[in-house]
Formats: sequence, C-alpha cells, structure tokens
Amino acid sequence: MRSRIPHILLLAVGVLLLTACYESSDVTRHEPGVYKGEADPLAKKLENDGELREQLNQRFDGQRDR
Amino acid sequence: MARMKFLCDADRCIECNGCVTACKNANEVPWGVNRRRVVTLNDGLPGEKSISVACMHCTDAPCAAVCPVDCFYTTDDGIVLHDKDLCIGCGYCFYACPFGAPQFPKTEAFGVRGKMDKCTFCAGGPGEDGTEEEFEKYGANRIADGKLPACAEMCATKALLAGDGDMVADIYRERVMRRGGRPQTWGWSKAYGEG
Amino acid sequence: MKLIRKQAQATSSSDAAKRGSAFDRRTFLKRSGLTASGAAVAGSIPLGMMRRRAHAQSDSAPAGGNVEVKRTVCSHCSVGCGAIAHVENGVWVQQEPDFDSPLNMGANCAKGAALRYHGLSDKRVRYPMKLVDGQWKRLSWEQAVEEIGDQFLNIREESGPDSVWWCGSSKANNEGSYLQRKFAAFWGTNNIDHQARICHSTTVAGVANTWGYGAMTNSYNDMHNCKAMLFIGSNAAEAHPVAMHHILRGKENGAKMIVVDPRLTRTAAHADQYMRLRPGSDVAFIWGLLWHIFENGWEDAEYISQRVYGLDKIREEVANWDPATCEEVTGVPEEEMRQAAQTLAENRPGTIVWCMGGTQHHIGNNNTRAYCVLQLALGNIGKSGGGANIFRGHDNVQGATDVGPNCQTLPGYYGLSDGAWKHWARVWDVDYDWLKARFDSEGEYDSGDGTLAHPMNIPGIPVSRWIDGILEDPESLSQRNNIRAVFFQGHAVNSQTRGPEMKKAIEKLDLVVISDPYPTHLAVMSERKNGVYLLPTSTQFEQIGSVTASNRSIQWREKVIDPMYESKPDAAILHLFARKFGFADEMFKHISVDDSGMPSPEDTLREINRGHWTIGYTGQSPERLKLHAENRHTFDTTTLVARGGPCDGETYGLPWPCWGTPEMKHPGTHVLYDNSKPVSEGGLTFRARFGTEHEGNNILAEGAYSKNSDIEDGYPEFSYGLLRRLGWHQELSADELATVAWVAGLREKPTGSASEQDVAEFRDLESDALDAVNWKTDLSGGIQRVAIAHECAPFGNAKARAIVWTFPDQVPLHREPLYTARYDLVSKYPTFEDRQSIWRVPTRYESVQNTDHSGEYPLVFTSGRLVEYEGGGEETRSIKWLAELQQDMFVEINPADANDRGIKDNQWVWLEGPEGGHIKIRAMITDRVGRGVVWTPYHFGGWYQGKDLIDRYPNGSEPYVRGEACNTATTYGYDPVTLMQETKSTLCQIKAA
Ligand code: SF4
Ligand code: SF4
Ligand code: SF4
Repeated sequence: MRSRIPHILLLAVGVLLLTACYESSDVTRHEPGVYKGEADPLAKKLENDGELREQLNQRFDGQRDR
Repeated sequence: MARMKFLCDADRCIECNGCVTACKNANEVPWGVNRRRVVTLNDGLPGEKSISVACMHCTDAPCAAVCPVDCFYTTDDGIVLHDKDLCIGCGYCFYACPFGAPQFPKTEAFGVRGKMDKCTFCAGGPGEDGTEEEFEKYGANRIADGKLPACAEMCATKALLAGDGDMVADIYRERVMRRGGRPQTWGWSKAYGEG
Repeated sequence: MKLIRKQAQATSSSDAAKRGSAFDRRTFLKRSGLTASGAAVAGSIPLGMMRRRAHAQSDSAPAGGNVEVKRTVCSHCSVGCGAIAHVENGVWVQQEPDFDSPLNMGANCAKGAALRYHGLSDKRVRYPMKLVDGQWKRLSWEQAVEEIGDQFLNIREESGPDSVWWCGSSKANNEGSYLQRKFAAFWGTNNIDHQARICHSTTVAGVANTWGYGAMTNSYNDMHNCKAMLFIGSNAAEAHPVAMHHILRGKENGAKMIVVDPRLTRTAAHADQYMRLRPGSDVAFIWGLLWHIFENGWEDAEYISQRVYGLDKIREEVANWDPATCEEVTGVPEEEMRQAAQTLAENRPGTIVWCMGGTQHHIGNNNTRAYCVLQLALGNIGKSGGGANIFRGHDNVQGATDVGPNCQTLPGYYGLSDGAWKHWARVWDVDYDWLKARFDSEGEYDSGDGTLAHPMNIPGIPVSRWIDGILEDPESLSQRNNIRAVFFQGHAVNSQTRGPEMKKAIEKLDLVVISDPYPTHLAVMSERKNGVYLLPTSTQFEQIGSVTASNRSIQWREKVIDPMYESKPDAAILHLFARKFGFADEMFKHISVDDSGMPSPEDTLREINRGHWTIGYTGQSPERLKLHAENRHTFDTTTLVARGGPCDGETYGLPWPCWGTPEMKHPGTHVLYDNSKPVSEGGLTFRARFGTEHEGNNILAEGAYSKNSDIEDGYPEFSYGLLRRLGWHQELSADELATVAWVAGLREKPTGSASEQDVAEFRDLESDALDAVNWKTDLSGGIQRVAIAHECAPFGNAKARAIVWTFPDQVPLHREPLYTARYDLVSKYPTFEDRQSIWRVPTRYESVQNTDHSGEYPLVFTSGRLVEYEGGGEETRSIKWLAELQQDMFVEINPADANDRGIKDNQWVWLEGPEGGHIKIRAMITDRVGRGVVWTPYHFGGWYQGKDLIDRYPNGSEPYVRGEACNTATTYGYDPVTLMQETKSTLCQIKAA
C-alpha cells in the first residue's frame, strides 16, 4: 500500500488553502519537455469541433441548481 | 479559449463520496486506486470542512515538468493527460503534484510501482477515442461523448463543478453572492495561476 | 526538470501531521484498512475487467445489440434520486445522472453513484440453497418451494398459522410490499412486519395521532422555502445526502439551520447553530424550547385557537421545564436554548426534521409528538417552508408503510377491525368468512388490554420482537404457540437489538427461510447446521414497479436488467408459494401473472388504487405515473408542479393524498394541511380523525378551512350520512350510489353500469347502513368526489391535537432510558410499568430499569449511519466501490474517555453492553462525540463476538467488508405504542482488546 506522506501533503495544502487567502508561489516551475507519447485525437478536437463544444456547454446545465 | 476546470465548493460539500464512487463507476478504477477522494479538515470539530480533490489539470502542470520520459500532454482546453505506455512508474509526478493526484496501482513485483494513474477529466487518454483499449488503460472518455466528468455530474449537492472555467466561475459567483460571503476558490490559483 | 519546494511548506505539512485532529475519518479508515482481513482484495484488477466480466455474463442474456436507456430510481434511501442506466445486450454497462428528475437533478451520493455495481455483483445468492449438516447444498426452485412449503404446511397444521412469522421489506416496490401483506392475510396471520417498525413507527403513530397522517408533511424540495430548519436526531449529510442539496439551497436562500444531536455530525458541520443533546432527552429539549417560546409569547395564538386542541395541557407540563431543569436533563445551557427558540420564532415558517435519533427510543412516540407540538405552537404546519419534514429511511419505506407489510394494520392504515377486513375482502373480491377461516380459530387471546379477541383482530408480532415470539413461554403469548419458522424477504436482522438472544432464538427455530439477493447476517450468525434456506431474490433493478419517496411522491421504476443468476422478484416468489399453499387463484384473482411467473405490477397497482381511499393512493394509476416519469423535466424543482406539458399543474409523483379515481385527475398534495389552497389543487385541513369532541370540547377547526371551501368552518369526516344532511348526496352518480349501497350491504355487487332506476330506491333512503359508508370505504370514490367538488377535505376539518388521550402518556413526558447513565434522574422521570401483553408479547419496563447499571457500564451507547452503507449493510458492503471506502467497524470515543481507558486511536477494543453482548471493533478517538458518549455505525455484520463468520457464507458470497453488528451489544427497551426498539440510548463499557 501507498505511504501516508501524500495524504499529509494534501492536508497541509488544504489547511493552507482554507486558512490563508495569501498563497505564496512556493514551487519553482520548470518548462516541461515535449510530449513523446502517442497522439490523442481529442487533444485538438474541442477547438475545431464546435458541435462537441456546444454539446458540452449544454451538458453543463445539468450542474446548475435549476 | 475554453478552459476546463474543476471547482469544489466547500460550503456545499458534505463528504458523501458520491464523486468518488461516480469516478469508480465511470472509470472502473481498481480497489486501492483513488483518482478522486474527499479530504476533511477539522474532522469532528467545529469548523469541519470537506473538499473533494482529484487532479486539477493545472495550467503549468508540475507533474509534466518533472516527468523524466515526457509522457504528459495538455489538450487545447487544458486537460492534462498522459501516456501509460511511456510512463515508467517512477513517482516523480506524485511528489511534484500539489494535490497528491497521481496514483500507483500495486503490481505483482513487490515494491515496484505500476504505471501512474490519475484523473483524466473523464477524457480517456492518447490513441483513438472511445475504444475498449482506451477504456482499459485510462477509463471512460466522456468528453468525446459530449459529457462532463462523472464525479461533478453526479455530485450530491452540486458542490463539485466541472466544465468550462468561465461557466463554473459564473455558477459559483452567483452562489457566493447569495450567501453573502467571499469567494474561496480553493486550489484555483495554485492550479490555474491568476488567470 | 527539478522542482523545489520551499521550506515553509514542508514545515507546515509536518505540523499538520502532528496535530491529531488533522486526521479525518477517511485517513483513519485507510490506515486501519491496511491490516483489514480480506479487504485488500483485487488490488491489481486492471481497468476494464469488470466491463469484461459484464460482457462475459451477457452470454446468457438475451441478445439485443443496441444500447437501451432505462430510467431507474436509487434503492438506497427515501430521497428517491433518479438514475439513468445504459444497457447493452442485457448488461448494465454505464450509469448516467438523471438531470431531469426534479427530486435530485442528477445528483447522487456514494450509494446512488455506485448503483451499476448491482448489475456486476458476484456476491449474490445465485441459486436456491439449503444448509445440510453445515454445508450449503444447491436446490432447484421446484425442490426449494416443495420442501419449504411442506414444512410450513406441517407447522401450520400442528401449531396454527401464527407459528410462521413473515418479514416483508421496505425495499420492495409498492406492488411487492403490498403483495407481502396480502400474502400473510391469505396465509392467515398478522405476523408480518418490515423495517418501518424500527425506523419511523413511532413517527407514524405519533404524528398520525396528532394531525391525521403519519408522513412527511412537505418535501425535500420545499425546504428551499424554509426560513429556519431544526434538525433533531437527523444526520442528513450521511443518511439523506441529496436532501442536503435542497437543504443547503434553503440555507443559501437565508434559512437558519440548527442541528441538535449528541454528535457533531457532518450535518452539524453546516449548521448555524449546533447543540449537543444528551441521548434520550428529546422531550425535555423540546419542552425547554417551548418554555422560552411561551415565556416570550412567541407562539402563534391565532393559529392555535383555530387549528390546535389541547395546548393548555402542554403548557402545564412545559412550565416544569425551566432552563435549569432543562439543562440538568438535556445538557444544553439556557443561553443556547433561548437563542434557538428565538431563531425559530423570528424565522417563520420553519421546518423540523427528525429521524432515527428521535424515533428509536422507548418513549419514541412521546418524542415525535413533542416535535409536532413545537411546530403547532409556532404555527408552522400546513405551510410551504414549514412542516414536519420527517425523512424516511429506505427507498420505499414510505410506500411499504402505506400499502405494505405491517403487523398492526391492513394496507392503507385500515387497521384490523372486522370492518377493515370486510373492506379488503371487497377489494380483493374474496369471501370474508373464507378469509377468516384462514386464521387460527382454536381460541381467542388477550388483545393487549385484557379483553379477548380473534387472532385476526390482534396485531401480529412486530419485527422488533420476533425473537420474543420464539423465546417466550407460549403461555404468555397472545397466540396459540411459539413462532416455529421465519421467512425473511428483504430484511437485515443485524439492525435489531439483543444479538445474543436473537442467536438463541434462531437456533431454536424449526426453519429459517431467507429470500434476499444476498445471504445476510441471518444466514451466518447462528450455529445452525440445518434448516436454513436461501432463495435468490432480485433487486429493484431487476423488476418494474412504483416506489414512494419520503415526500409521498410515487415514481415509476423501470426494469434495468433481467433477474440475475437464478433469482426471482419477490412477488414472483410469493406467487410460487401461494400456488403451493393453494390460495394463488384467490390471491391473484385480479392480478395477471406472466409466463415467467411474475404478477403484473400494473394490475397490482390498480388493485392498490382500488382499495387505498384512506390515504389517497387511489389516483396514481400506472398510466399517470408513467406519464410523470416521461415528463419529469417539466416539473419545477421547488414547487414540484409541472409547468406546461401533459402533466400541467400536477405535482411530481402525485404525492398522496391524490384523491378519488385516476379519472378525477387530482394533482396530488405537495404540502399536507395547507389550507391556503383548495383541496382540488392539493390544499388540505387537519384530519378529523378523533371524533368531534373531547371532554365536552369541540375539536373541529374553528374559523379555519381550506380555500374556496363550501363549509366555512370545521366539519367531521365525510360519510354518506353527512352528504345526506348537507343535501349533497344527490350529486352522486347512479354508479357511485350503486356501489355505496353495495358497500352498505343493501344490494348485490354492481356489475356493469347502473341506471338511475337501479338506484332510485336508495336516493332518499334513510338507513344507518347507508349513512355509515364513508370516504374510506366507498369503493366508487363518489363520496370523495362530491366532497372535493365542494372543496372540502374528504377526511373532515378538525384541529390538530397536542394531547393524545389514547396513548400511555397523554401529554408527552420525558422518561429516562431503561439503561441510563443518569440513574439519579430515574426517580423523577421513571419509565412505564411492565405490561402483560403488547401485541402478543409481554413487555418489560420498570423491571429492567430497576437495576442501576451505570457503575459497571458508564458510557452512553448510541448508533447511526455512514453514508456509504444502508441498513444492515449486506448489500452495500457487497458493492466494491462502497466497501473500499469503509473497511472496518469502529466506535467513536471521546479523547477523554479513551485516555481514561488507555485506548489509542485505531486500536482494537471490546465494547460490552449491560446484557452481556460484546463486540470487537476499532477505536476511533474523536471530539465528534461528547465525553461519556460513544457511537458506532450499525451497518456491519458477518462477525459475532470477535469472530469473523466468513466460513459460514456460501462459497464466495461473503460481503467485501464484514464486521461486528453493533446490535450484538444493544439492549432491551420498546415503545409502548408501536414496539419501536430502543437503540439510541443504552449503556456500555469499553476496554482495550
Ligand atoms: S493536479 Fe497534479 S497531476 Fe493534476 S495536473 Fe496538477 S500537478 Fe499534474
Ligand atoms: S459528491 Fe459532492 S458533496 Fe459529495 S463528497 Fe463529492 S464533492 Fe462533496
Ligand atoms: S441513497 Fe438516497 S441520496 Fe443517495 S443517491 Fe440514493 S436516493 Fe439519492
């Protein structure tokens, strides 16, 4: 089984987020390398496919309180 | 440009785990792997709060930054996905991730991690969409079907929202206005920067 | 490629880890899960495996090819959430949210979001089995029915029909649960009951006796309109999660939320005010609140004078509950009480919500009546945003209570009088004398008050007491003999108290039959080696039927998949036994049975419609319910009224009462007793159920009536006699009058349509028999139709009564629990005297309370819900996605009590009750419970006093998660009105294991 560390980190982050509105950018970000895996047709689809985008936006209404 | 985001409204979340089992149901994630989980702070004390956490699909994803085999990619609308065929299960992403999202299933060989698994925003993975193979490796591809992540769609109180970031923010702002509180979009600046 | 964390965060994370409170229940359980036996299964099952398995299983399913979309209703609680199922080749391959449902708008909790697992389950009972010398042996259905049937008939022959005890289910559809009750009647016994007994029986009795009907008055959706909400003994966040969607919307609209509970629950976490109550002090608490309300004149005087009777007697009792006395008994300080009272007074209408925390007490009926009185004093009943929002438990516990297996009444709350039996004999189209002859006719027995009665008229043994029906000396039972066999169809015995005695009782039986999708705790908890049968029974997803949500809305539930393995739906199994016993033709006279042996749900519902006039289950024909299901998107999510479309103006699910015949098109009643609306549009008055006067006082309403009512004052319930006095009887059609005359016994049953000539002789006949036919017994619905044509409520217009003169405590009183930690209070607030017979069984009170156990067992022991599981939990612990989230039975204990006992978090402990039952569970140390109180969930089973019973399950059918049943350690104690069990306030001691 997994170690417990991640949960603690998660909690720590949560505590920070819940208690402080100030968030220091405490990670130094590095540029990722270039993706080397198989292509995903979905990756570009949403921008080109207005219909799918529209469908998703309509679907989002389900999450409203109504 | 549309940007997919998650938001969990801690004033609504009741720690019912609906989102967690919705994820298990949609993606058939095995026992022991939790793409999504609910964290409760001050459990049993006044001020108890819960938030449902999974991969936030960060704008500048730290996981991707540390991956030694560069198996991560981000779709045009901001969903962070990865290729399990490349993944070597090293666990770096897990340490980099501020949300503890990456999961590693147990494998037969003791001590060896399996391929990393994490929330896909219900958008499957690389390769052809909607195939049995994609499902087995990455779970459901609801986005390709015009559906949003199962966890948010089924959330018991509509605490968890998933979709176009602007629409998510709209709903949330409206709620906060009604409550007369101050927006507390937990995790947003960490995941999505100031944008 | 490096990522550097700044020191600051690392520090804060370790700080958080050190703080004990930073660990939540999940973390705790996760940790404990590491060592849990059998829980660490399937760690490496690849994704997609279950889908593959599903496809493999489909070999036996009918080939179809296309994806079918089915609309079902969650079977795990009374919120009634919809869910959409995608079925491919007979396999449930995908689950989608039902955004269109006005009850849940797509939302589901953990259980609802895991429904699809029901179609994948490998833990089911697959074929009929019997236990032979400790081994499970496979049988065919024919063999099983023959063998069981012969033994039942033999017992019936030797000891009478009352020696078989039947248990129906709140999880059966309306049709299934109705047939369960009807089946028992045809077998010839009232010994049948279901979960409602130990769920809300005290509510049903207490509330119905206050204002007419014992159901939730408003709805979850209506809580959007509340200005205040008082939760007492309800943990909605875990027990009714999707209700929280509506509750939090109400709160966002400005409602003030108050939670009263011994635990700081997940619901309390969202409250504006939380008050910690000593378990079992609800009456004292409510009187304490009322003390402030009366003291400040915050009651609604006009409402009370028009619509409430008997409040003066309440005032006298409330005067005893000054803030100091109240604090002494409840533990709640004066200032908190005053603040809550003021919140309720200043924010009207407000609602009260209660659940098992209030009902499961030996004074449960007092608690529920006290809650009602509070709402009446505030003028909150009969108003949108107000009401008594009693959240029921199981998905169809409301429906099963209304139409199903109850030991004290026939369907529809008709009771067990000769008149009630005659009514049902007419509906069933069977001869009353034939029915009567089905019963034990050897003798008459004590009906409870010392008078003798025929067994047909004596309530049966309830689900809380079946073990006493086995263990008691037959001489002290109000029936011929002990129970010798039990038939459980859809019920978990680990939800009942007194585990060790239950075990003894099970071992004494000739025969145990379990008709259930899963083996259940009953199959494994005893040492029996023989005489246990398992009958594979379908879930609700494998059959069609209607299901009544807590708010009385009835939803049509489609079949998702065919019955799995060799299972059959409950009604089909009952049909098999009815055939074996030789009464199938009579019982299914007007219900067609298809080739698979399944009685038609539509026909059954129509029969329900034809008989349930008391509660208006008459207008909800299958056709109307299906139309609502199809058009559910047209209903408003706050008012539940359809706007446009084919259901325009109707309320979703036609919440009962939906008066008259389906043709009358009554829209259903969303808010009970709301007299701001006409009755024809869902308005109502308080029911005139208790006569017209009490001790010389008028108890009909005064100056209050429903909108547009032709009678602008109180009036009694409608009968033909009342119609005649009003001159309205002329409005009955010839057909209606013919039926009324038939019910009165003045003519033959009408066949075909009657002409005016046929009924001329009755038109102006003055006859007592004719006059006595009323809105409940008129099978034509004519009396209801005419009353409503005049915008009058068929059941009359009375005051609600704050005192119930037919109950042991007219005015609800506080009485200390039988096992109390405050033994010093017993002399002032003692329990009842022992009773010779309540519903066939002797019931002890003071002889139990006479012994002080608080020294040896100092901790107050109470129990409750976890969101992942339902009821006894056999089904939900067999759903892998849920089981993973709660892997261990545990007890919540306050850090002070833990330290006093040297107990560490997550350690194994023994919890022992004062009757000797003890359970081995893990300690969870938390401030959620106060000092001196411990809490356990009650969903676990499959262990007994420290031993995992995994070996006793039929091969591979053991639930993923097993644990001690908390009720192995719970104790004696029953409400004197309904025999509700006391589970929420007993004692225990805990020590390290
Ligand atoms: S949440 Fe974690 S896994 Fe998801 S994108 Fe961000 S860093 Fe990567
Ligand atoms: S389903 Fe919604 S309310 Fe329930 S735990 Fe998840 S985010 Fe919270
Ligand atoms: S258990 Fe209740 S709240 Fe949860 S999904 Fe089912 S009906 Fe809805």
